Amino acid sequence: MTLPRTAWVALTIARKDALAELRGKHATTSTLFFAAVVLLLFGFALGPDTRRLQEAAPGLLWLAIVFAGLLAVGRLHLIETDDGALEQLALYPIDRRAIYAGKAVSGLAAMLILGIVLLGVVAILYGIDLAGAWPALVLTLGLGCIGFAAVGTFYAGVTVRMRAREVMLPLLMLPVIAPLLLAAVKATAAALGGDPFGELAAWLQLLAGYDIIMIIAAAATYGFLLEE
Amino acid sequence: MKTRVLGIIGLLAVIAAAIFGLFVVPPDANQGDAQRIMYVHVASAWLAYLSFGVTALAGLLYLWKRDLRFDAVALAGAEVGVMFTAFAIWGGMMWGKPVWGTFWQWEDPRLTTTALLLALYVGYLLLRHLTDDPMRRATRAAIVGIVAAIDIPIVHFSVIWWRGLHQTATFADPTKILHPSAPGLFVLALMGMLTAFTLVWGYLMIRRYQLARIAWQIEEHGRLGRITAARRAAVERAAPPPPSAAPGVVDGRVEEAGS
Amino acid sequence: MSNLIFIVAGYGVILGGLAVYAVMLRRRLRAARDESLRIRRDAEAAAVEDRPRP
Repeated sequence: MTLPRTAWVALTIARKDALAELRGKHATTSTLFFAAVVLLLFGFALGPDTRRLQEAAPGLLWLAIVFAGLLAVGRLHLIETDDGALEQLALYPIDRRAIYAGKAVSGLAAMLILGIVLLGVVAILYGIDLAGAWPALVLTLGLGCIGFAAVGTFYAGVTVRMRAREVMLPLLMLPVIAPLLLAAVKATAAALGGDPFGELAAWLQLLAGYDIIMIIAAAATYGFLLEE
Repeated sequence: MKTRVLGIIGLLAVIAAAIFGLFVVPPDANQGDAQRIMYVHVASAWLAYLSFGVTALAGLLYLWKRDLRFDAVALAGAEVGVMFTAFAIWGGMMWGKPVWGTFWQWEDPRLTTTALLLALYVGYLLLRHLTDDPMRRATRAAIVGIVAAIDIPIVHFSVIWWRGLHQTATFADPTKILHPSAPGLFVLALMGMLTAFTLVWGYLMIRRYQLARIAWQIEEHGRLGRITAARRAAVERAAPPPPSAAPGVVDGRVEEAGS
Repeated sequence: MSNLIFIVAGYGVILGGLAVYAVMLRRRLRAARDESLRIRRDAEAAAVEDRPRP
C-alpha cells in the first residue's frame, strides 16, 4: 500500500472516531469536567497558598492531562469493541499501521483539546500569567500530547479485550510515560518561568526523541495485536 | 538432574560469596561496613536487567517463530526479574540509609529507574495473568515486553538528565566504591557475588521455564477437558471406572522428563 | 561491625527471599507435575475405556 493511501485510510479512521465522539457528546464533556475537578481538588490539597499552587502548577497540569488522557484513549478503542468493529477493521486489506495511525491521530486530537482547555483552567484557578510563554507552551503541549497519544493508543489496543481493563491500562501505561511526564513538566515549568537556566530546548529535545522512538516501536508492534 | 547440580553449586557459591563479602573483605574506607550491602545490591540489579533482556529477546523470538516455548522463557525472565528488581531496590535502600541518610534518593538514576522497572514488569505479569488464550497472551506479552525494554533506557537517560540539569550535589557513586585500600579484594567480592547470583539465576530460570511448560500443558488439557469430560461421563454411565494405574511406574517417567 | 541492622536486613531479605522463592518454585513445580500426572493417568484410563469391548 502506498504512503498517500495509508495516510488517507488513517485520516478516514480518525475522522470516523471524531464524528462518533462529536455525536455522543457526553463522553468528551465528562472527561473535560473530570480533569477540571481534578485540578480543583489539587487546589484543595495544596492550597490556599497561591504561590505553592503556582510552583506546582506544571506538575499538576500534566497529572490532570495524564488522568483525563487515560480515559480518552481507553474510550477510543472501546467504541470499536462493542460490536466487534475492530475485528472488521482488521479484516480490510489495509496496512495495519494505518489503523494504528488513525487511532493515534484521533487520540491526539482529543489530547490537544484536553491540554488546551486544562491549560486555561490552570491559568485561571492557580492565577498563572501565560502571556509571554505561548510559543514554548504550545510546543510542549503538542509534543507531550503526541507522545501520550502514541503510547496511549498502543496500550489501549493491548488492553482492549482484557479482564480488568480499567486498571490494566493505567498500570501498564503510567510507568512507560514517566519520561514524558518528567520532560513535559520540566519544559512547562521552564516555559512559564521564562527559562532562566536555558534548559527548555533540552527538555523539548527529550520529548521529541521520546515521541519518535515510541511512535516507531508502537507502530511496528501494533499490527500483531490485530492478528489475534 | 543437571539442573539440580546447578542449583546445589549455586547455593554453595552464594554461601561462600556471602561469607567472603561479610567477613573476609575489610570495611570500605569511606562507607564502612555498609558498603558490604553493595555486593548483593549490584548482583541483584545486574540479574534484573539480564532477566528483562531475556524477556524482550524471547518476546521477539516468539513473534518471529510463533513457538510457545519462547513465551515460557519470557515468563520465566519476567517473574525472576521482578524478584531481583525488588531485591535490588531493597538493597539500595538498606545501603542508602547509612550512606546518604535517606532510604530513597530521588536524584539517583539507578534507584528511580529500578522502581519504574518493577512497576513495568509487575504490569507485564498481571497482563499475562488476565489473558486466558495462550496465543493471545503470548503476543500481547511479547509486544509489551519489547516496548518496556525500549522504554528502560529512555527512563534512565531522562532521570540522569533530570539530575544533570539541576546541578545538585553529587552523592557517593556506587561505581566508585571499588577504588580504596584493598581494590583486589573488593573486586573479588563483587565478582564472586555476581557469579554466585548468576548461577542461582540460571537454576531459577530453568525451573520457572519447566513450570511454565507444565502449567501450559495442564491449561491446554483444561481446554480440551470439556469435550473429554462429556465423553467420559457417557462412558461411565455405561460401566464403572477401572482401578487407576500403579503410581510408581508413571512417576519415574515424569521425573526423568522434567529434571 | 557498623550499621549492623542494615547489613543484616539487606543480606537477610535478599538471600532469604532467594531461598523462599526457590523453595516455593520447587513446590509449585511438584504440584504441577502431580497435576499433569493425574491428568495423563485419567486420559489413559479414559483411552482404555474407549476401546471397543469384545
